[in-house]
Amino acid sequence: MHGRVKVKTTAEQQEAKRKEREKKLKIYTAATEKIFEKRKNKEYDEEALKITGEILAVNSDFSTFWNYRKEIFLNMTENKPENEMIEIFKGELQFLESCLRTNPKSYGVWNHRCFIMETMPKPDWKKELELCNLFLEYDERNFHCWDYRRFVVKKANISPEEELEFTTNKICNNFSNFSSWHYRSKLLPLIYPDENSTIGVEENILIKEYETVQNAFFTDPDDQSAWFYHRWLLGRGKIKTGVNCMLIDRTYQMLMINTTQPVMISPSTCEIDVLLNGERVEGTWRTHKQQTDVYSSIWIFKSTEDESWIPMHEDAEVAMAVVGEDWGSSDSVQINSTQTVAWNLTHEEQGLRFRDELSAATTDTLQRELDSIQELYELEPENKWVLLTIVSLMKALNPKQYANDIEIFLSKLITIDSSRINYYWDLRSKCLIENYLEELDFSTRVISLQNQNISCLVHPELFSMVVKIDLSNNKLDSVKGFSCFQCAVDIHVDGNQIKDLEELSFLHGLKLLSIKDNNISSLESLQPLGKTSILKLYLFGNPVVENIDELEVKKIIPSLHNFDGHMM
Amino acid sequence: MGTPIKDVVISDSAPKSLLLDKHADYIAAYGSKKDDYEYIMTEFLRMSGMYWGLTAMDLMSQLERMNKDEVIEFIQQCQHECGGFGASIGHDPHLLYTLSAVQILTLYDSQQSVNIDKIVEYITSLQQDDGSFYGDKWGEVDTRFSFCAVACLALINQLDTINVDKAVQFVLSCMNFDGGFGCRPGSESHSGQIYCCVGMLAIVGRLHLINTDMLGWWLCERQLPSGGLNGRPEKLPDVCYSWWVLSSLKIIGKLHWINKDKLVKFILACQDDETGGFADRPGDMVDPFHTLFGLAGLSLLGDESIKQVNPVFCMPEEVIRRAGIKMDLL
Ligand SMILES: [Zn+2]
Repeated sequence: MHGRVKVKTTAEQQEAKRKEREKKLKIYTAATEKIFEKRKNKEYDEEALKITGEILAVNSDFSTFWNYRKEIFLNMTENKPENEMIEIFKGELQFLESCLRTNPKSYGVWNHRCFIMETMPKPDWKKELELCNLFLEYDERNFHCWDYRRFVVKKANISPEEELEFTTNKICNNFSNFSSWHYRSKLLPLIYPDENSTIGVEENILIKEYETVQNAFFTDPDDQSAWFYHRWLLGRGKIKTGVNCMLIDRTYQMLMINTTQPVMISPSTCEIDVLLNGERVEGTWRTHKQQTDVYSSIWIFKSTEDESWIPMHEDAEVAMAVVGEDWGSSDSVQINSTQTVAWNLTHEEQGLRFRDELSAATTDTLQRELDSIQELYELEPENKWVLLTIVSLMKALNPKQYANDIEIFLSKLITIDSSRINYYWDLRSKCLIENYLEELDFSTRVISLQNQNISCLVHPELFSMVVKIDLSNNKLDSVKGFSCFQCAVDIHVDGNQIKDLEELSFLHGLKLLSIKDNNISSLESLQPLGKTSILKLYLFGNPVVENIDELEVKKIIPSLHNFDGHMM
Repeated sequence: MGTPIKDVVISDSAPKSLLLDKHADYIAAYGSKKDDYEYIMTEFLRMSGMYWGLTAMDLMSQLERMNKDEVIEFIQQCQHECGGFGASIGHDPHLLYTLSAVQILTLYDSQQSVNIDKIVEYITSLQQDDGSFYGDKWGEVDTRFSFCAVACLALINQLDTINVDKAVQFVLSCMNFDGGFGCRPGSESHSGQIYCCVGMLAIVGRLHLINTDMLGWWLCERQLPSGGLNGRPEKLPDVCYSWWVLSSLKIIGKLHWINKDKLVKFILACQDDETGGFADRPGDMVDPFHTLFGLAGLSLLGDESIKQVNPVFCMPEEVIRRAGIKMDLL
């Protein structure tokens, strides 16, 4: 089904081909019928091997016939002397090798070879390794062969060091060998393990790997294999589970928590006890989308005992305790008698909240990498891999300090790599939003990010306690992530390209939405707002407004008092 | 010197519009030529072949042209005592064909015409201690089979019969430095495999375990200047890989990271305007497999003359909704 070029043929040629195929088909059908017949009669003989072999040689994915062959071998092993069997097995290996020569990417053949090697007496694993070498010589990217190699390596007790050496040689022959780089990423953590490094490899080895990979991309800066490998070396941090924010709200009688990564709160996975002034409160946890049994970064607790479990006009303390896990155990929040809302924010050290994304290497190493890749940039100012790697390094080193450079490099990427412009736009948005959030005083509960060409919202879960959000005049085309704005009262998103309002249905406290000059084109798109208690809606400048009936709008959103500045 | 990019050139004469009627005729005729050479030589994957053809027809709103009774009867005859399905009558059972069978039955809303309990028994018997799945009793392990098992159970609403956490752990153990996934722990990333693993994690609600920035970047780098997508670095573009990459991007919410117009142009160029059907690349021979993935790809890219496709199951969205399956994509 792959790589068969369609050739124009004459009617005469077609007829000849048809006749030839007819003949072939007759033999083929007779053979397959005979095989099924023999298998039904439990005949495990040489003849069965011969006929199945003929079929499998032309149709190596016919798995039922491989299975029959396996049965034959198991049966013969029980009934024939070992020395005779060794010869039959050897014949099978030869047969399989010839199959692989015509079809080196057949799952069936490689799998059957594993079976034979595991079943035969005295298998010669070293010879199998040579076979792998040979087939990787023909095609150094054949992943079936690489997988078979890993199987053989395990059986033959070949050390990871020897295999690393093998990949080094392969890479020296041809840098552009993604399979070899991949294999190195698996071998290094085995040979030089280091738990403290996020990619699990000792720092001094990492430095040597940087040299190897630099060699590769200085030789051929367009070779993506080396760049992907380089990105891996830079590493990525593991985020520890914890609580970013804990908030209690008397109006909605809820406790909301926002975790550093998605968790599932349920009796079977992770239970969280809630204590009011030291006393356990019975209740249920749901996500901001009203779900249970899912992973989410935002969870809302409501009491099932008492609808107004957070007492009015009294000082109170709400604490949470994660049962059986070591995060969020000591989080609590105090609310005094006059407050309607209170929260407890985990204070991240300035500039570190998002840094752990790329932090395997120490700052020194990152700086050295940046320096040498900037040298390459002098030679290759239009190379997208160079530009993007510089962006990654700058972002890892000091996103604030390099903010301008990052902006310049990303703009350049947007112009030279036209197929992936939206990837770069999103990356740019990520840098901007992260820098903004790093400096934000969350206790103001206001987010204002206008006129920034933001194309997507990142880390929306961090917006969960914000009351007023202004994202006007950006490049947003949806309200993806907006369901996280659980405390939002005012949302301004004028001048974007938003087409739907789906996620807004979860914002129970929303009072004002200003979405002028967007792409809302149908009345049905307004339906999510009907589930909120919104009072004011500014919809001017959307295609839907052209011949809109205010009564229809009111029907969809009964709570609405003010539509595009008119009282309703 | 640098290695040249492997890619294809799309000629000016390549098709530029969608030839829906031709494709429907091609698929309808394919199943009716039962003594055709091509047809007989592919009997070892018949069940999957039928799923490709029938799903393609349903996406084109032409499923009623196919013989439902004949299909259901065939499927019934392919179920074994153990509960699994073979590719054809008399062929050995395997998870690959069990999934195809269940997909067709779901398409026809006819799950009850086979023994569902037996299917559950078959699938659960293939899960191993490490969470992985054998493809059949012979013991080959592959993340493709993890997808088959989970997708199958989701379609028959029996996901809680296996150890989902362990199944997830196994799939994660196949994650690689590039954010992608391979066949087994240690195997290189490959878009077909990525689709299976991402789809599997989507079905069981664990998409947050994927590094979407890293994987999304690797996936969008599969797009070549011709617009087509390849399955791994330094490989040629292909309609089927285009689907696997595209659907994975869709599931992790990064579909917009590739250039849609260019990909549409590439997929359309893979049509055969004489015979109907799609090939792997422009100018190659067509087959039902690439025809389904060509259509499904165009559907994800927003072509409204094709039914909306579900990126995880590669079946019409309306069928998945009818089966009561809910998934949160990113
Ligand atoms: Zn293909």
